[in-house]
This record gives sequence, C-alpha cells and structure tokens, in this order.
Amino acid sequence: MTPAPTAAAPAPPVLDLTRLTRRYGTLTAVDDVGLRLPAGARHAVIGPNGAGKTTLLNLIAGTDRPDHGTIALDGTDITRTPPARRSRLGIARSFQQPSVIAELSVLDNIVLAGWPHHPKRRGAWRSPSRYRLHTEAAGHRLETVGLADLAHRPAAALSHGQRRMLDLAAALAGDPRLLLLDEPAAGLTDDDIGRLLGILGGLSSSVAVILVEHHVEVVAQLASTVTVLTAGKVLVTGPTQEVLAHPEVREAYHGTGSTAGRAAGTAAPHQGAGTTDPSAAPARG
Amino acid sequence: MDLLDAHLIPAVDGVAFGLLLFVVAAGLSLAFGTAGVLNLSHGTLYAIGAYTGAELSDGTWGGLALGLAAGTAAACVAGAGLSAATAPLARRGHLAQALLTFGLALIGGDLLIQLFGADELPVRVPEALDSSVMLLGHRYPAYRLCFIVMAVLLAAFGTWVLTRTRMGAAVRAAADDPQMLAATGRNPRAVHTGVLAAAGALAGAAGVLGAPIIGPGPGTSENVLMLSLVVVVLGGLRSLWATFFAAVAVGEVQTLGVSLVPDLAPYLLFAAMAAVLVLRSRFAEPATAHGPEGPAPDPVARLRGHLAGRLRRRPRGTPGTAEAAKASGTAEAPGTAGASGADRAAETAGTDRAGAAPRGYGNRVPKWIGRLPGGTAWRQAAPLLVLLVVLISLPALLDAYSISLAGSALALGLLAVSVTILTGYAGLPTLGQTAPFAVGAYATANLADAGWTVGPVQIVLSALAAAVFSAVVGPAVIRARGTTVLMITLAIGELTGAVVNQLKSVTGGADGLVGFPATRALWGGEGMLEESELYNYALVVAVVAVSVTLLVLRSPAGKLLTGTRGAEARMRASGHPVGRYLLVAHICAGALAGVGGSLMVTVQQYLSPADVGFEIAAFALLAVVIGGTTSVIGALLGAGLIVATRDWVAGSWPGHGPLLLGVLFVATVYVLPRGLAGLRGGNDGGNGRSSGAPAPEDRPPSAPAPNPAGKVSP
Repeated sequence: MTPAPTAAAPAPPVLDLTRLTRRYGTLTAVDDVGLRLPAGARHAVIGPNGAGKTTLLNLIAGTDRPDHGTIALDGTDITRTPPARRSRLGIARSFQQPSVIAELSVLDNIVLAGWPHHPKRRGAWRSPSRYRLHTEAAGHRLETVGLADLAHRPAAALSHGQRRMLDLAAALAGDPRLLLLDEPAAGLTDDDIGRLLGILGGLSSSVAVILVEHHVEVVAQLASTVTVLTAGKVLVTGPTQEVLAHPEVREAYHGTGSTAGRAAGTAAPHQGAGTTDPSAAPARG
Repeated sequence: MDLLDAHLIPAVDGVAFGLLLFVVAAGLSLAFGTAGVLNLSHGTLYAIGAYTGAELSDGTWGGLALGLAAGTAAACVAGAGLSAATAPLARRGHLAQALLTFGLALIGGDLLIQLFGADELPVRVPEALDSSVMLLGHRYPAYRLCFIVMAVLLAAFGTWVLTRTRMGAAVRAAADDPQMLAATGRNPRAVHTGVLAAAGALAGAAGVLGAPIIGPGPGTSENVLMLSLVVVVLGGLRSLWATFFAAVAVGEVQTLGVSLVPDLAPYLLFAAMAAVLVLRSRFAEPATAHGPEGPAPDPVARLRGHLAGRLRRRPRGTPGTAEAAKASGTAEAPGTAGASGADRAAETAGTDRAGAAPRGYGNRVPKWIGRLPGGTAWRQAAPLLVLLVVLISLPALLDAYSISLAGSALALGLLAVSVTILTGYAGLPTLGQTAPFAVGAYATANLADAGWTVGPVQIVLSALAAAVFSAVVGPAVIRARGTTVLMITLAIGELTGAVVNQLKSVTGGADGLVGFPATRALWGGEGMLEESELYNYALVVAVVAVSVTLLVLRSPAGKLLTGTRGAEARMRASGHPVGRYLLVAHICAGALAGVGGSLMVTVQQYLSPADVGFEIAAFALLAVVIGGTTSVIGALLGAGLIVATRDWVAGSWPGHGPLLLGVLFVATVYVLPRGLAGLRGGNDGGNGRSSGAPAPEDRPPSAPAPNPAGKVSP
C-alpha cells in the first residue's frame, strides 16, 4: 500500500495498482494489493511459495482478471484490457516455465515475439521483404542475450538456461515499458545467472521492471525497491536493503516460527544484513 | 392450463429421455474426464446393452433382471477391453484414442448387425409395467415412470460412489493429480481400467433399461453417442449436476420442444447448443488455464502424462546423418498424430516435432520461405509434383467408375486438407468439418438447380457460404482447446447433419438431391457429363485450392499458426491477437471444405446426407492422421486410401464397408503412429508407440538436443 519512495514525479506512474484482489473459491490469492511504479523502477516482489506473486503478475499481464481493484498503465485504466492488447501497450513478461515455440527456430521465436510491436508489422505475413526487416531486428535482439549462434536451431533443441534466455529475449523483443519477470533465475547455473544479471542490468532506464524472484542475491542486485507478499497481502514495501533486513520479513519469508522471530528480535537485523549482502551470501543454484 | 395439459406427456417423456441420456453421458464424461479417453464407441456400448436386454426380454421380471445383469456385464467387459486397447496409446494423445474408438465402433456396429440382424429388435417389458397409469388425467406408460425411478436410483448410486467412497475418491484423485495418487500406492492404470469398465457398465445398464425408449437398431449407437456428446459438451465436464441439467434440457428439447414448435424441431437442439456455447464463452473465465504457468487445461493431460511415464521409454531413433535429414523431407515429427492439438498448454515443452533440420546455419538465402520446417521448397514440392503427375495420368489408366471415385477422393482430399489446417496447424482437432463441407455441397446443388451452372461461380459461392457458416460457428470452436474441440465440432457436425435430414426443401431430406443440371467448367461451355471431364475439372480446382493453401501455410502466416499452437501464452504475451488468428484459420479451413463439398456434388452428380455425415468427418480426420497431422500431401493420400478401401476393396465384400474401415482405423492407429509421412522419416520402423510425442510433463527440464537428423514437420 505504501507508494514507492521515488513516486514523487509529476508524470503518472507507469503502473498503478489499487486495491487489487483475486479470489479462487475461498482462497484469496491476491488480497487488496496496491503498488505504484515510476518509469525506470526496479521493483522486486518476494514472498513464500503461494503468496500470490505469480497471480499478481498474471493480473498485471492480463491473463487473469481481478475480482476487485484497478490496474492503470501510464494513467490509463487497463483492468479489463485483454492480454494481447496490454502487450501492445507495452507490458511484456517472461514465464515461470520458459515459454518458447519448440517447433520454430530461435530466430523465428523472436521474430514472432517482436512482430506485433514492429513499426512495419502490417502485411509482414505475406511480404518477404517486410518479414526480412523483422528477422534483422530479431537477430540484433539475439545478440544481446547471447543466443545469436543458435539463431537457426529449433527452440526445442535448447537447454533450460538457453530457453530462459530465449523467453527473456522474446519478452524484450517488443521494447516494453513494463517488464514482468517471473522467477527469471530459477534453475539457472551461476554462469547463466551472471549473464542474466548482465542483461537486466543493461536495460534502458526507461523500462520499469517487476521481478518475482526467490534468489535473494538477484533481488538485492537488481531491485531498488521490494514488496513482500504473504498470503496475498502486502507485508511491507520499501527500499531493498531495509526490507530484506526487516525482522517480520525474515520471519514470513524464511518461515521462522513466530516465537523464534520474537526471541531473535534483536539479532534479526544483524542476521538480515548478513544474508542480504550479496558479497557475503553464499551463491545458490 | 390447456397448454400445460397438452404438453404434460411430452414433458414427462422429456424427463425420462433426459435421465436416460444422463446415465449414458455420465459414463462418457467419466471416461473422458478421468481416464482421458474420448470414447466414440460409447454409443456402441449402449447398443450392446440394448441388444442384450432386448434378446433376453421375455415379458417377465426375471427376463428384465437377467437382461440387466447380462447387458451390464457385457458392456462392462467391453469397456475394460477398451481400456486395454487405449492404454498403449496413452502418450499419443486424444486424437489417436478417438480414432481407435471410432474404428472399434464401426467394427462393433458391424458385428452387432451380424449377430442380431439389421432390423430393430422388439423389446418386451414385464407385464406389470406393460400398461398405462393415469397421470393427471392422462394415460402414461408405466414403464417410463418406472424407468425414471430406476434412472434416478442409478444416478444417485453413481454419485454416491464417486463422492462418498474411497474408490470414488481415487477416481477423482486420478483426474486431479495422478502422481499424488500413485504416491499413495494406487496404480493409476488400474483406475484407468476401472473407470472405463464402470463407464461401460453404465452405458450397458442404460441400454438395457432404455431399450424400450431408444430401441436397439442399426442407428442406435450413433444417435446415442451424438446426444450424449451434446450433453457432455453442454454440461461442460465440470460437475455431475451440470451434466444432469444438460441431459434433462436436451431430453426436453427433443420431446417438449418438438411438440411445442414442430416446425422448428430440427433446429432446436442446434440452437440450444449454440446459445449455451456462446453464453459460456461470453462469461467464461479469461484464458488463464492456457498459460503454461497455470494448471494444465484438463487434468486428463496430467493423468496421461503420468501413464506415459510408466510406459517404457525407448530412445528416439537417431539416424543422425545429413542424408536422413534430407530424406525426411516433409516427414512428420513423431507423435504429432495425437498430441498436436490436444492440450496445447501442457505441450509447450513438447520437443519432438522440432522445427527445421539445421541445414546451413548462416545460410541466409531463403530467409523466410525455406525456413518453414520441411526443408527447401523443392524438397517439399517434389512429392506433390509426383502426386500431381500421377493424378493427371489417372484418366488414361482407369475405368470410368474408378475415375469418378478418384474425383470423389479429390473432394474428400480437400476436406482432409482443411482438417489438416485446423488440426495440425491451428491445433484445433476437428470432427466437424463436414458441416462447412455440407454447406458447400448443398450450396452448389441448389445453385445448379437454380440454373447457376458455371463451375467457378459455384466454387466461389460455395466457398463463401461455407466461410460464412464457419465464421458463425467459429467463436464456439476457437475458445476451446484439445479434446473439447473434438466434442464441440463433433456436435456441430452431427447437428448440421440432423438439420440436413430435416430441411427437406433445401436438402431433399434423407432422399438427397439428384437430377440437377451438370456443371459447366467455364462460361459458355457445355455441361460436363463424362467422368474424365469431371475428374479433370476436379483436379484443376483441387490443384488451385491446395496450391493456395500451401502458399499461405508456407508464408509467415503459417508461422503465426504454428506459434499459436506451440506456445499460445507466449504469443498472447507478445501481443498477438491469437483468437483472431484462430478464427481466420477456421474460416479459411471452412471455405476450403466448402470447395471440397462443391467438388463432391459436381463429381457425383447427386448428394445424400450420408455424403456429409459423421462417418465422412471421421474419415477426413483419419485421412489426416494417416497422412500425419501437418502434412498436406499426407492428407490427400489418406483420403485416397480411404476412398479406395470404402469403394474398391469393400466392393468385393458387399455390406462390410464399415467393418473394413473400422479395421483400417484400428490398424492405422497402431501401425502408423506417425502416419504415412512417418514412413519417409526412415526411423520409425518397429519404433511403434514409443515414438509418440513425449509427454511434456515428465521431460527433464534440460533435454538432450534432439538428433541432428531433425524431425521435420511442414
């Protein structure tokens, strides 16, 4: 509910969520969540499994509809806008399970992903010359994620890490204003995580990013602000280091019992600083 | 009050009819929902029960009880047999199973006729029930009232078993999470068998008890199957209650509706179904289920995946030479046969129909055209050219009758190609393309009757009519995925067939149309009467239609469809209006089917409802599966094979066409898992079922790279 500290800019926030709620039967997956992101924000959403992080991303991307609340992009209400239209408005996402078109080549995957956003998209389906423009743009995109060598390989032949990169490249192919990343580091090797951090670190500062991630190091490196969700509710929102050091966060996120949390009240900040410091944290994955 | 009075009897009849449908449809729904088998022989199971019951009925309670026991047991055994027959196909998807069960239905229907004769059997109910009771001042058959009671008891018992017993819990668990079920020590395979046997028993019991209502006869199984499919589609597989209400609604539409508005009787069911489907698509949840991050769209996919995991996994064929890659040409990826359309979301990780052979990395020449999986344009075109040469030379080789058969095969081939577009490219496995086919056929026949005999005009107008039809029904089709599409399209096709039978002024009803003026190939020409003339006309039209189709499929538009089928969530997230693509594909496929229907009429010079019936729909789908779901040439060859079997081979053994075709269905499903196109890949010899699509669920996240020979699917 707390607005991100940088939201003082006069322009409307890129993303403005108000009182967003999604219920599945009796389970409230996302409960009264509010969030404002300015352009160029680097925001992470963390929380234990089942906290509603992916549901939140789905609501923003439009593959799921909220029961209550509104979503605004650049001040325009998009609560009822279908996902494909939202994508064309500038919301891109990666998937928890990398989503690639296995039958097509890596290059074609990117061509298709960038197609609806390309200035010359009309008629590309029948005009070879226009389609060639698309393939050139896609080729550049592949270079930025380091898949250029595999451009003509079928996507089915990629390793898991390469699929993630391809999924990410597909998300970036439309030059989004808002990028939703659903656990981009899951299942990646340390090398791949390094590459991922490089790519995301090199994003234009005009792109706002929402990152759902379990790797605390990745969160600490990429995100300047963090929201913690538990059971669909916002526990706390704030600057990354503060939030990660917050005792309640540690309790909710690491599942330490409530008594242990209280007992460790004084020790928690110290421990928190220890785990969240990327240099001190043991590399995972 | 008068109105109520006059329609009381049909209303009560509707309840009895609806309950009968409910019991049958519950079995169908159970088999589909929890065992993952779209059982197109479910009507045959009913017929087994009905025949047994009729045979053993002698007007005594004992006869009824004996019939009930024997009919239920027979159908139960048949159901268990189905389970054994479909289990090896578990990893090949619903399409293969549907075709197998349809083949078995054809065989079963033929055997039942052998055993019991082609006439409707009389059924004798116990004398105590063979009378009328007074119902609010009307005489009403006691048996029907008794049936209502028995059906309610049966339904209540089934619901109790499903919701209150451990066995029912296991069945529901199998639908929901088979892995967890296996972890608790139950064998999902046993559940699979049990469910199909129970579904068979339900159908058998319904057959025995319902024999006085829907009697045993040659048309019984199809009728029952169609109505129960409509019930399942309307009920939506979500709950037994929904199925129950759908069943009673269908029963009432068929009885009360007919007595209220007899003029509109043929359309009522169609209209009711369309209304429900449209309403549901309006208010349905947004497409969350289709995302890869969501749960699989139907639990069946997971059950299947799990079953698949228990089957032996052989390494895939790896003849890794470049020559093999070339030879594979348009060859089919393994397993597209079944899995391509079904459960697309679960399949995003599917690998095996992998794209282009890695020919020439960095070879930038045919950047967009040759990139379609399938090698260069030449390699793909060569078999088509060979086929074309053969087709052109046919009139010189064959007698007149065979040439006219070849013309029909061309028409059926276009229908099959339209099924390929939907099944293989758009991922919408369809059993309903006979509907636009019929629209095109009847349009041409009526145009000819009205004096519009110029061929191109007939073709274009028929295609337009079929396209309009497809545009109207499209929204109901494209919302669904996987096997649900099979059911919806099947219902659409069947209902269109029902309309064709009833709408006598346009279609000539069951007698069909004959004696309309012959088509002229061009303006100013003479009407074509000779077989070879007609054949050449059909060939030219087919070549043009297939060429246009190939050009479109090979353009980037084909990639849009491939992407939609392969990773719908990604396409949506990238801003592609996926629904619009699918609708356009559905309309274009409909137009192509309409062209096929027009050709069919022109070549045959008569038209009967059987030409656009359910069997034709199944043949078209079989042709596509024979060919390999994404191969246009395979679809054409498959159509030729089917016409040859139906009309040439069966000619020497009259009356057994269905039996032969049934055997062809069954053999195809088992012997040619990848279709004819698979034969050219050269690596499926004896590879049998294990070359089926890998169940995506149990694939390790980082799979080894597929073999460099690259299985290619155009």
